[in-house]
Amino acid sequence: MTPRPYALLAELTYRCPLHCPYCSNPATHTGGEELSLDEWTRVFAEAAALGVLHLGLSGGEPLARRDLPKLVTAARQVGLYTNLITSGVGLDANRARELQAAGLDSVQISFQSDDPAQGNTIAGSKAHDAKLKAVRLVHDHGLALSLNVVIHRLNIDRLPQIIAFAESLRPERLELANVQYHGWALRNRNQLLPTREQAQTALLVAQKAQARLKGKMDVVYVLPDYLQDRPKPCMQGWGRHYLTVNPAGDVLPCPNAGSIPDLVFENIRQGSLASIWNESANFNRFRGTEWMPVPCRDCPQREIDFGGCRCQAALLTGQAAATDPVCALSPDREIVDRILDHAWRTEPDDGLVFRQNPQAVLS
Amino acid sequence: MTEIDPHHRPSLAPRVRLQIDTVRQEPVLLYPEGLLVLSPTAHEIVRRCDGHTSIESIVRSLGDEFDATEEILRQDVLETLADLQQRNLIVLDP
Repeated sequence: MTPRPYALLAELTYRCPLHCPYCSNPATHTGGEELSLDEWTRVFAEAAALGVLHLGLSGGEPLARRDLPKLVTAARQVGLYTNLITSGVGLDANRARELQAAGLDSVQISFQSDDPAQGNTIAGSKAHDAKLKAVRLVHDHGLALSLNVVIHRLNIDRLPQIIAFAESLRPERLELANVQYHGWALRNRNQLLPTREQAQTALLVAQKAQARLKGKMDVVYVLPDYLQDRPKPCMQGWGRHYLTVNPAGDVLPCPNAGSIPDLVFENIRQGSLASIWNESANFNRFRGTEWMPVPCRDCPQREIDFGGCRCQAALLTGQAAATDPVCALSPDREIVDRILDHAWRTEPDDGLVFRQNPQAVLS
Repeated sequence: MTEIDPHHRPSLAPRVRLQIDTVRQEPVLLYPEGLLVLSPTAHEIVRRCDGHTSIESIVRSLGDEFDATEEILRQDVLETLADLQQRNLIVLDP
């Protein structure tokens, strides 16, 4: 039986005032016409009917959509728990009030560092102060606050300071996420991959913070997966709990699935969400365990990590159906080890490529 | 972490919403990073966590509805709330 999805990630736009070099948005996307308010309203209703309970409003920068409060209203009308995933840039008192009145449940604001100068450098924009202002507005309007900091070689040594900084902003939850190498991040992989020593130290810092803050502030630490010997349970399995609709209306099992060559995804303008989720060849392609190659097929971990990440397998081995090469049992693990060796010989500030906005996008 | 006490008046953390999943016909707690499916017992406990009702009153109110001793109910309530507190999904107001 086809599982029912729990969560929808709605990428409302690829426009963004920030230029973070680790952005997971596709680096080759040329824009295209964004879905309208009416189209998103239909997507939210179809998602709720399909069993989705949870909505992430993301981007790009979702605040770049002037109709964001109306999108929140549409989501709440069909009972979705609505979480805004934002840089915070573009939030002012007026919009905070509108979003709160529309029924927004929670706001996740990203920071690039505790240090304003480093934060602004990584964001490629003087965004740090605007983010602090956004945090104040979220508290002032009684909205729940999560913070997200993407971790990489340039800021990983500051993890203790980053955690202390985050605590001072009083979020209910802090997500410390090592970079996943897709989109723009892939272009900057050599500069962003932490060293093994950095990763080991950071893990201990994160674990100590988790223990100390238990019951007070939820601390989530997303591991740097190239440095692990088992793959991440990507999306908890392909087409199992999650789906993504991108700004142009393509329906994807994950935000990066568009990077897999030869997979052409259906668009919400051509079919219903239910038919795409249940029947499309691409959603069914890596469902369950039937598709798995050896060593995954016989592995006791197969329903724990689901063979890892399909995008990463395609990217690194050329085969989307291969075992994620992060896994020590993968015949392709040496590919990851070669990438690590090469990255560790690259200077961190050697030619970062900053994210650019897609050309010719409409709202 | 605060030790749970029968005088506490628990409420859901601000980011958490209790909802009935009408598609799957089960109660769930929704929060930014995911959701938790509640057992029928946990649902009866959580829906009484309004920030005004003490744990002791929750136990008594469950005793009126369910055929179990107060001692067993108290243990159930304390265990469920401790689990939710670990997950940072409830707030214990004094």
